[in-house]
Amino acid sequence: MKIDVAFNVNGEEYQLSVEPHRTLLEVLRNELDLTGTKEGCSEGECGACTVLVDGIPVNSCLFLAATANGKQITTIEGLVKNGELHPLQQAFIDQGAVQCGYCTPGMLLTAKALLDIDPAPSDVEIKRAIAGNVCRCTGYVKIIEAIKVAGQQIANGGKA
Amino acid sequence: MSELSVVGKSVPMIDAREKVTGEAKYVSDVKLPGMLYGRILRSPLPHARICSIDTSRAARLPGVKALLTAHDTPKVKFGEVIADEFPLAVDKVRYIGDHVAAVAAVSEDVAEEALELIEVEYDELPVVDDPLKAMDSDAPLVHDVERNIANQMSFSRGDITQGFREADEIIEEYFETSLVHQCYLEPMGSVADYSGGRLNWYLPVHIPSVMRLTYAKTLGVSADAIRVLSPFVGGGFGSKMEYAPHLICALLSKKAGRPVRIVNSRVEEFLATMPRLPMYITLKLGVKRDGKITAKKTKIIADNGAYTHYAPPILSTAAMRADNQFMLENIETEAYLVYTNKMPTSCFRGFGNPQMTFALAQGIDIVAERLGLDPVDVLLRNVVRKGDVTAHGWYMGSCGIDECIQRSTEEAGWKEKRSPRGESVTLPRIDSTGTNEDKRRGIGIATCVHVSGNRSFIKMFEGSSAFIRVGDDGKPLLFTGEVELGQGSRTIFAQIVAEELGLSVDDIRVAMLDTDVSPFGLGAFASRTTTLGGKAVVAAARDLRAKLSVVASDMLEANPHDLQFAGGAVFVKGSPERAVPFVAVATRAVHQKSGSPVIGEGSFTPDNVVIADPQTKFGNISVAYSFGAHVVEVEVDTRTGKVDLINYVAAHDTGKTINPMAAEGQIEGGVAQGLGYALTEEIVIQNGRVLNPTFLDYRLMTPLDLPPIRSIFVESDDPVGPYGAKSLGEPTLIPVAAAIANAIYNAVGVRVKSLPITAEKVRDALRNKGN
Repeated sequence: MKIDVAFNVNGEEYQLSVEPHRTLLEVLRNELDLTGTKEGCSEGECGACTVLVDGIPVNSCLFLAATANGKQITTIEGLVKNGELHPLQQAFIDQGAVQCGYCTPGMLLTAKALLDIDPAPSDVEIKRAIAGNVCRCTGYVKIIEAIKVAGQQIANGGKA
Repeated sequence: MSELSVVGKSVPMIDAREKVTGEAKYVSDVKLPGMLYGRILRSPLPHARICSIDTSRAARLPGVKALLTAHDTPKVKFGEVIADEFPLAVDKVRYIGDHVAAVAAVSEDVAEEALELIEVEYDELPVVDDPLKAMDSDAPLVHDVERNIANQMSFSRGDITQGFREADEIIEEYFETSLVHQCYLEPMGSVADYSGGRLNWYLPVHIPSVMRLTYAKTLGVSADAIRVLSPFVGGGFGSKMEYAPHLICALLSKKAGRPVRIVNSRVEEFLATMPRLPMYITLKLGVKRDGKITAKKTKIIADNGAYTHYAPPILSTAAMRADNQFMLENIETEAYLVYTNKMPTSCFRGFGNPQMTFALAQGIDIVAERLGLDPVDVLLRNVVRKGDVTAHGWYMGSCGIDECIQRSTEEAGWKEKRSPRGESVTLPRIDSTGTNEDKRRGIGIATCVHVSGNRSFIKMFEGSSAFIRVGDDGKPLLFTGEVELGQGSRTIFAQIVAEELGLSVDDIRVAMLDTDVSPFGLGAFASRTTTLGGKAVVAAARDLRAKLSVVASDMLEANPHDLQFAGGAVFVKGSPERAVPFVAVATRAVHQKSGSPVIGEGSFTPDNVVIADPQTKFGNISVAYSFGAHVVEVEVDTRTGKVDLINYVAAHDTGKTINPMAAEGQIEGGVAQGLGYALTEEIVIQNGRVLNPTFLDYRLMTPLDLPPIRSIFVESDDPVGPYGAKSLGEPTLIPVAAAIANAIYNAVGVRVKSLPITAEKVRDALRNKGN
């Protein structure tokens, strides 16, 4: 038995028939070939699979695809607008916040959700926001710095 | 060296854009036409005979395309040092997670269902999961090896008896380190595609060229039948080496005649990969009143787990490496590697060095207190200096350990903050309201030495090679045998090429490794990539420059030796107006040879390193040695034992920092991993069973736990390393746990000598002290 769902991913409408147990992560990666979203633990503990559902960061490995019906989904592939990187993406590059890169897509989406609400979060607010996204390479220092820099740029009129 | 324009600058990673856009393809993103999904049936028992395996029901499940048991696999054991493991378990399983059978199917779901249909009958055997008990004469045997001792070593320098006789103080202490996982975020996996009589293999690993040879042997094929391709690698930290599921993936692909992908789940990662060796260390030190160490005696027992990967050289590293930061004379060491019914243990950032440093750097702290000296003075009394040769035969061509100690302590405010305040602490009443009066601050230091490449690790040769191809587009494309794991080696190499050819980093591309094209490289281990790989890249770039100079000299009507490469152009020295663009020179060169690209080749073979003597372990194994000193300030809650991290300063002798931003990233990441090692991380095993195989129960440091981390670079300008550069990746983790232990002691006067130093252990130690 499959369930019909319709949702919008990065501005494009999709109509799919999915098995009820299929997660959003599986559908994005395997059916829509949006492989930028990563699987790190499939138990909702590492945040590598983070995507935005109606602007809210979720672990797509725990989010059933069927429940995404009617939702707006943003994945890492949706962050570039008109060929231009999102200020967060540019700041992650410039500040050295990327090493192996496996946590990066999920981290960026968590950070985007934070900056969408408040482009000038405190250090503690940033740390709390990304506490569910594991990065094993960087020790988070440059990630936190990059989020601050991107926030300043957005507040100063850069594109969000 | 004249002024550098690209080397020494904080250049962003050249592949960061692909990573922030999600375009970077990791092995789990590789999807080939007709690809199947492989899964592995793992042992549910820590030690058992396999009586029978029945795959007939699984074989009938629609969608199952291949099944494997040990009957189908080559009976060739693999293992880099001691070959003791088959791709699939033969006759016996030795740990929970051991590989028993495998399936390839049209989907993950079918593969998973097929596993449930495989019937295995086991006959349970007695279990030994404690290496100390495993050495008992009546312990169950994991392999047919006496007392489960897989490997042992002993060696001595000087005269240990005399050394202790000369000592004014002698201490003897016992330390235990824990089983910790690398926790790279990308699980291990591979995609194998057997087609046209050849195996195309996507392997995200540290040593692809070497593993190709090892795997060819196990699979019974010639090396040319295997082509290894490196996709992006989602972190390694030493872990992604030879691994049975890679072989299983290849064998499934061969049997099914279709590509197969196997990627671990996170639970499989915790159950059945190769975490760090736990070690049980007895350390005895003799010291003179002035702090001079006169003798060091060590006994180490290390947990090998069920199969041998790189544990023997790791144990050898633990047994001797940390000694080389000091000018010791009298040393005696014995070390044992012991089989247990647990997952095999192997490489993790530091390679045995963090384990011994946990003991030795606390030993220094303990003797300093005993002598009434500042540990900084004891360290400075004993450390090596440039030009020294250590007791193990290591030659220090450059050495900045004293400067690391001085600058890190200065930056951290050691003199003001270090006081013997531990003594006065008594346990406050448990009904206390939790004000700051219950908290004590302390500061601690630990130092380290590490290699830049290790001649004794993979024995075929030491060195590296590279070539750079320039076609008529004029954009250099670098091929190296070394591997990018996220540490930034491609960026470092691109900086070097840009520096040597007077281009910008944006002009340089660095190919992903492909064994059909790339040089044979030993790979990413022993913190060798920048130093040895970098030297080869320098040589390749200079060769290319020489070849292009000949062409440019025609164009500029000048002597090739008078030419300079800078700013994207080639010009006559002293006459910048006589210039041609680099691209024009490259194009001319290519056209002159009817389209053939210009190839700059380079290699580097260090002439001052040897394979250490297998018995005595003596010999200069590395081209250069790196050093570090870490100073950490902690605040301990005396009611709960909770340790808060206040401030962290890490000074490292990098020789020359080629990319400060990337180097800071190494330090911050290494320190964060080390803090997890120190305080929270541990795979807990009971009766052979992992109790915490998830990120929920295996506690990593979160951003909220971490202190500010300040990096200091000491540039000792190594005479061999490229631009003077030495290693950095591993040293960043090595001293962390010891520095924490020393800081906690300084805060509250209790010393927890087993990792991790959890709040419970600190609290219990405080209670025992209070009584």
